Amino acid sequence: MLKYLIIPLSCNAVSFCHYDSHANTNDFISVDTLKKAIFWAMKENLSVQFVYPACDVPADILAAIDTVDHIDIVPSDMSDAELRAQADIVVFDDWNDIDRYEFSDGKAYVVRTSLAAFIDNVQTVKSVLPKLDRLNVVLTDIPGMSDVQIDSYKESLDSLIPAVAAEYLAGHPVQLNILSDRMVLDGMNNCNAGDESITLAPDGNFYICPAFSDMQENTVGNLQTGLDVRNPQLYKLTHAPICRICDAYQCKRCVWLNKQLTREVNIPSREQCVLAHVERNASKKLLEELRKMAPGYLEDKKIEEVGYLDPFEKLIQTQ
Amino acid sequence: MMKKEVGSVTPEERDEIQSLFERRNGLNELAKILTADNGELYERLVKDMGETSSKFQNWWNCMGEKYQWESADNGNWEIDFDSCVIYLVTPE
Amino acid sequence: MSEPLLKKIKDGWQSGVAKNITFIVTKDCQLACKYCYLVGKNGHERMSWETAKRAVDYILSNENEFPEESVIWDFIGGEPLLEIDLIDRICDYIKAEMYRLNHHWFNSYRFSFTTNGINYHNQNVQHFVNKNKNHLSFAITIDGTKKKHDLNRIWASKDGIERGSYDDVVKNIPLWLSQFPNSGTKVTISSEDIPYIKESVLHLYSLGIREVNINVVFENVWKQGDDDLFEEQLLSLADAIIDNELYKDNACSFFNDQIGKPLNLEGDNRNWCGAGRMLAIDASGNFYPCNRFTQFSLRSKSAITVGSIDTGINHNLLRPFLALDRTTQSPQKCIDCEVASGCAWCQGENYDAADTDTIYQRSTAICKMHKARVRANNYYWNKLFRKLELEERLKEYRESHPQTDTKPC
Repeated sequence: MLKYLIIPLSCNAVSFCHYDSHANTNDFISVDTLKKAIFWAMKENLSVQFVYPACDVPADILAAIDTVDHIDIVPSDMSDAELRAQADIVVFDDWNDIDRYEFSDGKAYVVRTSLAAFIDNVQTVKSVLPKLDRLNVVLTDIPGMSDVQIDSYKESLDSLIPAVAAEYLAGHPVQLNILSDRMVLDGMNNCNAGDESITLAPDGNFYICPAFSDMQENTVGNLQTGLDVRNPQLYKLTHAPICRICDAYQCKRCVWLNKQLTREVNIPSREQCVLAHVERNASKKLLEELRKMAPGYLEDKKIEEVGYLDPFEKLIQTQ
Repeated sequence: MMKKEVGSVTPEERDEIQSLFERRNGLNELAKILTADNGELYERLVKDMGETSSKFQNWWNCMGEKYQWESADNGNWEIDFDSCVIYLVTPE
Repeated sequence: MSEPLLKKIKDGWQSGVAKNITFIVTKDCQLACKYCYLVGKNGHERMSWETAKRAVDYILSNENEFPEESVIWDFIGGEPLLEIDLIDRICDYIKAEMYRLNHHWFNSYRFSFTTNGINYHNQNVQHFVNKNKNHLSFAITIDGTKKKHDLNRIWASKDGIERGSYDDVVKNIPLWLSQFPNSGTKVTISSEDIPYIKESVLHLYSLGIREVNINVVFENVWKQGDDDLFEEQLLSLADAIIDNELYKDNACSFFNDQIGKPLNLEGDNRNWCGAGRMLAIDASGNFYPCNRFTQFSLRSKSAITVGSIDTGINHNLLRPFLALDRTTQSPQKCIDCEVASGCAWCQGENYDAADTDTIYQRSTAICKMHKARVRANNYYWNKLFRKLELEERLKEYRESHPQTDTKPC
């Protein structure tokens, strides 16, 4: 069921996910389109998320935004310091200055990074963990990732376990998506673009998510004719044959990456599956580590030992 | 030709002779295109044909001994790979 | 079906354990069959020896990627026998390389052809047949009576005059059957062919072709009333087969006692189609999950490649095919259908007809034809089991085929 409407306010609104921001031009959504989108979201009973560019946003757009309860997603280098301070989610596009940033309680911070840069910045992650409540690490170079690179990722995650555990022990249960999310989940908790969320781009067209909005052929309707997602079942977990037998519950199950790498929105690539399992297994280790320090911690949660990193192998064996 | 059912073998025994049968056919058809000019490969083929023929005959000897199928001087045994059934085939 | 009184359609050689590797050696054909799904046939896309050799080299040198017990090297077109010299060279190379590399397939391989049969008697083709006889599977396509065959299987011509190919094919049938006595033929039924089904199957039996594999096209070509006409033909064919005891020595794939049952999804949720488990290679050296995903086979979608001789197989692109199952791609009406067993689909046609670029949307264009077939099957097996006094089989059949409303969805 649809729950969220994501509205990038301009063509170069910050990317908060795997895709790169599409355009250099800061063509803003028209106020008329924005108002209609907000109206549509209210009628459909959807929560609205606005995604900002780094540059200043025109006042009439800000005024329209203020007419609805919403979430603000902003870039860390946003020129409007006041808006940045009020935002719910702040996105870093690299590791520069992150350790000098003034974090606030109760907010989520996203860092988009290549795997190599993440590995180089494990110390940075450790240094910021005490300062924030939630950090989402989003890898931007998943396509073509080699097994050797994924091994390095595993080592980096393992090396972060003591730092995260120390925060928990100190009474600060920091959330690091790639390490701690799986530990607390009982079922799939994915992006669910196309099923629970839909994007209204500045051009007035609907897209499955902001990543798809670089090509008009990806449109799934518009504000005039309504939302028109063809084969909507394929965005649901029930119609994802690999994912529905998987327990890497924290996986984004990114339908955009799926489409890029396997041509099908409901089928993940090997890279996505293996990375998600490396995170899952690291999360298992973290949970075991925490239980050593605090017996009975999250005792209703269990992450089973499995003999594969790619659930596709499990699927093929059962066929 | 007369064809009479005289016994059967196990699926595992069938697999053995089927594999040898396939290999013998493969070697025979390869022999039509490989010549002595192919040197080492040709020599290997000739040796292999001899060995495979021996294994093939040994299988029949061994199974004939094991199951004591009915035989005839002017006849030969045949196997149905689908059913594992052995037939004695003789001229009418 | 285990009764010795009934001939049944045999499973293909090493069915289920053989890898099918298809060389699309040419996109040319002498014929322009009206129902042919190959919409982009042409005379210039012919496979070169270098491309074929590189494909064979890739496949045989990556044995771990092809663990299947056996292999069927399949040659199709267009019309494959137009390229018999190339095929002969490829097959010789395959044999020698499998042997040189000690490849496990040397002990279990076949070369397979589906041909229009026009060139079957040619000297080069016959030389090839004699050279590889123990490893060959040949299927010549003949659609039935002259009238039925010539209705669709016509020569390609530029003058617009339709000329059927029946006489050019039927002359080669005795030679073919003398060399491959257990061969069957494949018959395709489109809307216009329905009135000729009965006479065509009986005609093929009379030619000595004992196995008739026949199916309706998956494309959405069916007109109102086609299902009734189809059922009528099958009922009439059933009478002819049973009354004349043709079932003893002949088989027709339309009649199968396993079709028309409710699904047992817990026991079998497998995909019907083998796309992705096979590999097709075109003249450019591109790999496809099956030849139906090449551009010349598709009406409205782009080709789906899964690699090439340059890059090897892209396993991410194969995952959607290998992960396919019945329920994920079927609409609810098909899952709930009480006569669903045996209702087939073609992954390529599903893709071509889908609302989005997906292989996960099953086309149901043959729904009413399947249900007509189920009704005719019920009649056939009831009548046949009664005639043969196979009471237990009849009881079993009735219990496993509940009486249902088989009206089209």
